[in-house]
Amino acid sequence: MNIKSPFLVKRVITASSLLILLLGFAIVLGISMGSTDSGIKDVFQSLLGTKEPESMLYTIIWQIRFPRVLLAALVGAALSLGGLVFQALLRNPLAEPYILGISGGSAIGAIIGILMGFSRFPGVSLTAFTGSIATLLLILAMSSGQTILKKDALLLSGVMVNAFCGAVIMFLVSMTQDSRLHNILFWLMGDLSMVDMKHVGILAATLLPCFFLVFWLSNPMNLLLMGKETAQTLGVNIKAVTFTLLVTTSFMVSATVSYCGLVGFVGLVIPHLLRLVFGPDHRVLVPACVFGGGTYMVFCDLLARTLPEQGEMPAGVITAIIGAPLFIYLLKRSSR
Amino acid sequence: MNSAITAKNLSHSFGEDLVLRNVSFQVPKRDFFIIIGPNGSGKTTLMKIISGLLKPRNGELKILNRPIDQYHRKALARTIAFVPQMTFADFPFTVTEIVLMGRSPYLGMLGLEEENDLEIANQAIAFTGLENLAHRKLDQLSGGEQQRVFIARAICQEPDIILLDEPTASLDLAYQVRIMDLMEKLKTEKGITVVMVSHDVNLAAMYADHLLLLHNGQVMCQGLPDEVITYQNLEAAYGCTLLVDESPLGKSPRVTLVPRKYSIRE
Amino acid sequence: MTTFRYITIVFMMAILPLISLEATSVAKTVTDQLGRHVTVPDKPQRVVSLAPSITEIVFALDQGHRLQGVTTYSDFPPEAVKLPKVGSYVHLDLEKIVALKPDLCIAIKDGNPRVIAQRLESLKIPVYAVDPNNLETIMKTVLEIGTLLNAKGRANQLVKNMDLRIQKVKSLVAKTTHRPRVFLQIGVSPIVSAGTHTFIHELIVIAGGTNLSAGPIPYPRFSREKVLALSPEIIIITSMARSAVFEKVKAEWEKWPNMPAVRNQRIYVEDSNFFDRPTPRLVDGLELLIRLIHPELVEKIQ
Repeated sequence: MNIKSPFLVKRVITASSLLILLLGFAIVLGISMGSTDSGIKDVFQSLLGTKEPESMLYTIIWQIRFPRVLLAALVGAALSLGGLVFQALLRNPLAEPYILGISGGSAIGAIIGILMGFSRFPGVSLTAFTGSIATLLLILAMSSGQTILKKDALLLSGVMVNAFCGAVIMFLVSMTQDSRLHNILFWLMGDLSMVDMKHVGILAATLLPCFFLVFWLSNPMNLLLMGKETAQTLGVNIKAVTFTLLVTTSFMVSATVSYCGLVGFVGLVIPHLLRLVFGPDHRVLVPACVFGGGTYMVFCDLLARTLPEQGEMPAGVITAIIGAPLFIYLLKRSSR
Repeated sequence: MNSAITAKNLSHSFGEDLVLRNVSFQVPKRDFFIIIGPNGSGKTTLMKIISGLLKPRNGELKILNRPIDQYHRKALARTIAFVPQMTFADFPFTVTEIVLMGRSPYLGMLGLEEENDLEIANQAIAFTGLENLAHRKLDQLSGGEQQRVFIARAICQEPDIILLDEPTASLDLAYQVRIMDLMEKLKTEKGITVVMVSHDVNLAAMYADHLLLLHNGQVMCQGLPDEVITYQNLEAAYGCTLLVDESPLGKSPRVTLVPRKYSIRE
Repeated sequence: MTTFRYITIVFMMAILPLISLEATSVAKTVTDQLGRHVTVPDKPQRVVSLAPSITEIVFALDQGHRLQGVTTYSDFPPEAVKLPKVGSYVHLDLEKIVALKPDLCIAIKDGNPRVIAQRLESLKIPVYAVDPNNLETIMKTVLEIGTLLNAKGRANQLVKNMDLRIQKVKSLVAKTTHRPRVFLQIGVSPIVSAGTHTFIHELIVIAGGTNLSAGPIPYPRFSREKVLALSPEIIIITSMARSAVFEKVKAEWEKWPNMPAVRNQRIYVEDSNFFDRPTPRLVDGLELLIRLIHPELVEKIQ
């Protein structure tokens, strides 16, 4: 179509291939390390097929670590993309699904789904989606019109929605006394270890179309940053674009929440870093967020499962330890 | 019929509030057309209706002799460019990137620009005198420079008509003149019809080919600056004492505000 | 009631060999306590226990040598502490379990997340799930694990011993109609007790007491005010904490001399180990309880 090879395509390809390399490195590292000893050598041996397929190490690498690493990559990609979209739509670099309380809303939905005994897919994912849409509507209603552009209003409403969601979660947890409680707590901790390839496949099948859809709308997102009126007079159907982006993002966020609980700040850290490196053009940032967010989450999960000597810590702990200080820094800088 | 914009009996209301009442006017092609009027007279609403952002409740609006609702979204964007009142975005796009966004009505969904588009953007940047700032980030520029960037983006849209909503508000004197000169150059060199909302009656009087004076959502007066800028019209519209004489530069009327202590009439 | 239990046990002892007989030489398919069909090896040699109570039962069956891994809080018997850990029972480390190459994992219904069984099975590791939640099901669990680990004789012996001791407590309690009001406080803070559907309730009832926190909620929370209103005759506090804390908790209650338990100095602090796991050791807990609730009956015997 574009025979002249527009310069933007080059930028997209450069950024993506750089980050794909990083992601590949992270994945290899991710499947080489774990609570049992094994080295990169073992991974390559099993990659090359020189290792017995029946061996215990083969099982650990391909059936335990590999699905987990892929899940982390998908979750990281979806969450960073979610942050990127909200930042564009609200024209506020501090917006992020977790900070806005959308993750919390879908967590409520997910817990209700678990309590009703639904399976993780599609049952819990759907109740989580309902929860996230409800929170989204609440936030949009609370900070309607112009005020949503103001950082303070947005943050305050997010803090309130989050506090409310936290209270509802605690309420549901304390009302639950039987063995379902373990399921909820286990899931809330943000555990990535219990998925197999089937679940990863389902999640990939739901998320990948979303990634493409967001990429398809990446130029309108650029124009939206110039203001709704400007975007509209540049030929963007802003109602359709905004609606599609909001629903797609809520869907992505709720899908990840229903699989691995509450993981915060990924959508803040990654778009911010990538914007510093590649600039603010969303046609570059969307693919960069998919690959960069995946890389970041694989590393965070790796830290989460190798840092503690006994057992693991939830990956959400690592992302929050990195993300929250950055958030405060950004807030301070932008209110200067 | 050589008119860029033809409006017949445009009316609009927000809820019960009737903000525009039977507004009719015509903007010839290659005209510098300025809409003036006090706050709340409906200037911005009228601007939004012309740009297609708002649909009028009643009335008829033709752009290049074609009803506005017959335009496809992108076709309209190729015909009319709109520079809204100062917007601020906390995202570090460069000047070139922003100007290039003006090409998107000509491009596919992903807006992949080609060499040709970059050429047009560079011309727009040169036209607005932004060459030295082309690779600077928007948030590093002054208000006047930012305004020129948005005008360059509008030029890059290669429209027949450019609409501006108070482009000189909040600019210092030197920049007010630069922006107005730029718009005049746009009209004479590129043949673009310029429609502007302005607060500054004096600037409007000096630059406009035609003026439209709005008051309470109605057209109070329209025509050549000499016909519109009279103290009767302005005092009735703005509700304050004014002195209108001829500008020392000749040709255009000059408006002077009259403080109470200098009151010339009883 | 008692005869019914005997019949159940005898029936199970009779039926279990039948199941193993029709199985092939290396593996057999059994049905676990959740009704799942599990194919287990005939002689499991590498067993991973997914809960402290199961670890205890396996050791009680003298099969500790078959355990390759246990969970973090498996601290009884002391030998269990030295075994490799596979995470806590709610947060298991799948990779560690697989690395131990188990030929059988024994899971518990209340506690282990449901997904872990599914994941282990997808990796072709059999998971046998048990659900011991009262004395009867504990005995059933002991017998089943005994059968799985080829220690049927020891299991029968254990269960018989448990049953004898329970019967003895029951016959003692039968001599009196007095059922003192007991409030059993689990842990120090917050005040939590046990509802009707718990083994603690069962123990209190068998030991001849009235459980003041009986009710539909398994582990309800109480305010101090509510406990005072219940006016317990006996307060039993079970705690993992050491004696310094014991005295402090006791002193808290002793501020309320109107309460019968305080008036009669019947506040006891006991090691929680006897009450917190569904294992054969609960019978020790039962004997402890009857000594606290009905000291007069026990003294008469001794």
